Amino acid sequence: MNRFNRNVLSIAVSAAILSLGGLAYAEDTIKIAIAGPITGPVAQYGEMQMNGAKMAVEQINAKGGVDGKQLEAVLMDDVCEPKQAVAIANQIVNQKIKYVVGHLCSGSTQPASKLYEEEGILMITPAATNPAITQQGYKMVFRTIGTDDQQGPTAGRYIAEKVKPKKLAIIHDKQQYGEGIAKEVDKTVKAAGIKPVLFEGINKGDTNFSALITKMKKEGVDFVYYGGYHPELGLLLRQSKDQGFNATYMGPEGVGNKDISAIAGPASEGLLVTLPADFSTDPANAELVKAFKDKNQDPTGPFVMPAYAGVQIITDAIKGAKTDDTEKLAEYIRSNSFDTPIGKVAFRDNGDLKEFQFVVFTWHADATKTPVKQ
Amino acid sequence: MSDSAILEFIQQIINGLTLGSIYALIAIGYTMVYGIIGMINFAHGEIYMIGAYVGLLVITALGLFGVESIPLILLATLAISILVTSSYGWTVERLAYRPLRGSPRLVPLISAIGVSIFLQNYVQLGQGARDVSMQPVLSGGWRFGPEDGFQVYLSYMQVLIAVVTVAFMAGLTLFIGRSRMGRACRACSQDRAMANLLGIDTDRVIALTFIMGAALAAVAGVLVSMYYGLVNPFIGFLAGLKAFTAAVLGGIGSIPGAMLGGVVLGLAESFASAYLQTEYKDVVAFGLLILVLLVRPTGLMGRPDVEKV
Repeated sequence: MNRFNRNVLSIAVSAAILSLGGLAYAEDTIKIAIAGPITGPVAQYGEMQMNGAKMAVEQINAKGGVDGKQLEAVLMDDVCEPKQAVAIANQIVNQKIKYVVGHLCSGSTQPASKLYEEEGILMITPAATNPAITQQGYKMVFRTIGTDDQQGPTAGRYIAEKVKPKKLAIIHDKQQYGEGIAKEVDKTVKAAGIKPVLFEGINKGDTNFSALITKMKKEGVDFVYYGGYHPELGLLLRQSKDQGFNATYMGPEGVGNKDISAIAGPASEGLLVTLPADFSTDPANAELVKAFKDKNQDPTGPFVMPAYAGVQIITDAIKGAKTDDTEKLAEYIRSNSFDTPIGKVAFRDNGDLKEFQFVVFTWHADATKTPVKQ
Repeated sequence: MSDSAILEFIQQIINGLTLGSIYALIAIGYTMVYGIIGMINFAHGEIYMIGAYVGLLVITALGLFGVESIPLILLATLAISILVTSSYGWTVERLAYRPLRGSPRLVPLISAIGVSIFLQNYVQLGQGARDVSMQPVLSGGWRFGPEDGFQVYLSYMQVLIAVVTVAFMAGLTLFIGRSRMGRACRACSQDRAMANLLGIDTDRVIALTFIMGAALAAVAGVLVSMYYGLVNPFIGFLAGLKAFTAAVLGGIGSIPGAMLGGVVLGLAESFASAYLQTEYKDVVAFGLLILVLLVRPTGLMGRPDVEKV
């Protein structure tokens, strides 16, 4: 045997062993990929998602798993970047994982969802709220969170009916999530007869907003809606206070976490935020909340319980439909309802929840929040 | 123009100058390296990011020790950040440029990009990828204008940024113009081979250029941490891009050009946000760059390259 043949043979043998290993491995566990930002500027949201999903995996395993098989959580980091999300989605496809709980950012969920749909991978996002994600006619895509066209109107109606600002400004970060939600708010307030004096986009990652603030101050703006995430809003709040621009700010759940107070300090007092109802105060979840607290994890984040629900719905469907054919599972999820920590949930044909409630909270400088009386 | 329009204009000038000062400080690092070795240091944005991190860490540490005097905080933070950051600048030159001296120009360019990626990930691993934030050390300022109308606001921090920037620029100009090492720098920028023949240690001059560039980036980093109070491992990219634009706008290779370029860019961004839409800020900034390069290919203050025979 010459050297060339020997090499080919050894490669073939090792490839065969590798694929055997893969088969043997697939037999005893059910892998669920949990995809979201583990690193990067919005990693704190990823942590909520990971904690919720990991807790579900642990608790389901402790109760004996799914039909005798244990669940295995495979954590995947997409850094909240569309390009990275596609790379991760490819890895999931290659590892023959059939279930995904994720992604988190709308911008990374959308490109990844295309791959999952094509490859027949069941995806439940606990956090991506852009309406477009479930408007692609996909069969494999679900979400356990509300959408911007539910959240935007909640914020818009609150502004139009309760705040009644004299001059409203709407700012967004030009990202799919931020701009999407800002447009929904714009639509709702316009329908109620309020015309925003300005509607502008800033750059994600910008740090200096002084020119924009000066302009809003000059226009006499008294209320600002910001569509985007906390790093930019934190600086906007802080620089606004510095310049003596005292308008009230409001944002979506992407700004509602403790880092906004770390960045903006006292300037974060009085910020209004729309968030999913706080599931951790639901008495039915008392035991689960305790389990989180025992592990020193915070159960109050907006994506913790939806991520838990995502894992649970997948496993309930496998148990209920008695199959691992993801197409049949998707059908099962569509036609049944599930008892989860976010309540009894049922899905529309496009994969959105039939009902999801957003609530307006007032944010405080010490990073706590109180529901606004409606 | 009505009174409030004039006041708004003044406020936008203040905003633009503050932004421009930071750009200018970083831009000098690009322009100096280009002036001496004719290459762009693509790791410079990351050097600035490290300066900002060191600044933030030192300020936080001083806060823990209960140091409250602003001049003391400023001086200590500047000193430590400059020291640490310039050692990074020196290392970049030592690792990515010196071993490749004499190789084609693309080679050190790639190695500098490599260093840039390395530094970004190194800080990410060491400090975490999350935003690190702190509360302002120096807050407050002066207000001018009518009580009930638009008031111009000039914060102490903005004044501090302008003063520190001007001081360091003046120091640099003096150093380059008057000192022995400065003369060696100028000689190297005119003709490196000749300077070498005349007994100037050109390797030392090049190392010094990287160190001074990094020191000014550290100053910018410290000012930014004090002003915005927010850093993450990715801030170097955008800041580096803007500062590089400022350097080219002003005429790459020219130190006064980098200062002017930074200020012009800051003002352009500020006015674009103010009188057009914030979305157009970068369009205006880069559009301006294209315009200037069309009319003056060497930038505002750059000298045309004389073909050496």
